[in-house]
Amino acid sequence: MNALRRLLPLAALLGMAPFAAAAPRGDEASARDAILARFDAALHADTAALERLLADDLEYCSFRGTCQTKGEYIGEVRSGKLKYQSIEPVVERVKLFADSAVVLGRVTVTATREGAERTVTLMFAGVLAWRQDRWQLTTWTSTIVNPQL
Amino acid sequence: MKTRRTTLRILLVAAAMAASGASPGADDARTAGLRAAEIKRFEANVNADAKTLGQLLDDGLEYVHSNGELDSKQSFIESLTSGRRDYAKSEAEIESIRILGDVAIIRGKAKVTVIDAGTSRDLHIGYTDVWVWKDGRWQMTAWRSARLPDSPVK
Repeated sequence: MNALRRLLPLAALLGMAPFAAAAPRGDEASARDAILARFDAALHADTAALERLLADDLEYCSFRGTCQTKGEYIGEVRSGKLKYQSIEPVVERVKLFADSAVVLGRVTVTATREGAERTVTLMFAGVLAWRQDRWQLTTWTSTIVNPQL
Repeated sequence: MKTRRTTLRILLVAAAMAASGASPGADDARTAGLRAAEIKRFEANVNADAKTLGQLLDDGLEYVHSNGELDSKQSFIESLTSGRRDYAKSEAEIESIRILGDVAIIRGKAKVTVIDAGTSRDLHIGYTDVWVWKDGRWQMTAWRSARLPDSPVK
């Protein structure tokens, strides 16, 4: 132990931190939480949370086949043009990579868009990027599994 | 394996190609590699080329068709080789390619004629697929698509 203590100044000098915790990084659980937090923020029209959870370069592609930017999507939520009544997500798989994660799952959404309410069940894929010490959603895409509705 | 290369036409728009985590030169090469893989995959669908699809599709693939039907890698390839699903024609337009380290996202539109259990359908879809870099090559791990408003829903 004494020998180890003697080595600490040398380690510090070399820029090493032998006893310091590794820098926080995204893991599978936090990726799952980030996706669930994004659903929760959408449900409660919490645009401040959406600003944090969505990447600036977000491509938000809905089940209608069209895509929006972060600003366009948050703008719809903020204005009430898109209003969620309920969101019931199930995260089925998380594939973790160095600085990104692919999250796959299903979600049943009841939402009102421009006054018309609709309930859809979607299979989604979200791609998260680890930036600024947090996960940010950079791609969202989904396919409706009950297109007859 | 069918040979119907003449029925496939790929339009490369790639309007917004963004990449991160590598030098511009490397980004260009990786983007080009992805574009080539995507083109090859559409061709392999039309040609029911199980060998090529075996290389281009991730073992954990989740392929959700625009009608909500879910295929794994195995069931997707089997549907083509058995003739249960036949992509008679496929015109794809790649709109963007984004690379985030070992994950890439391709977004585009496609006009597809598919003969599904004997019924021919012409579809116009918007799609997003997710690729992962594994075993020294890009492999598609997720496909999501939606029929565009001008696409007949059957």
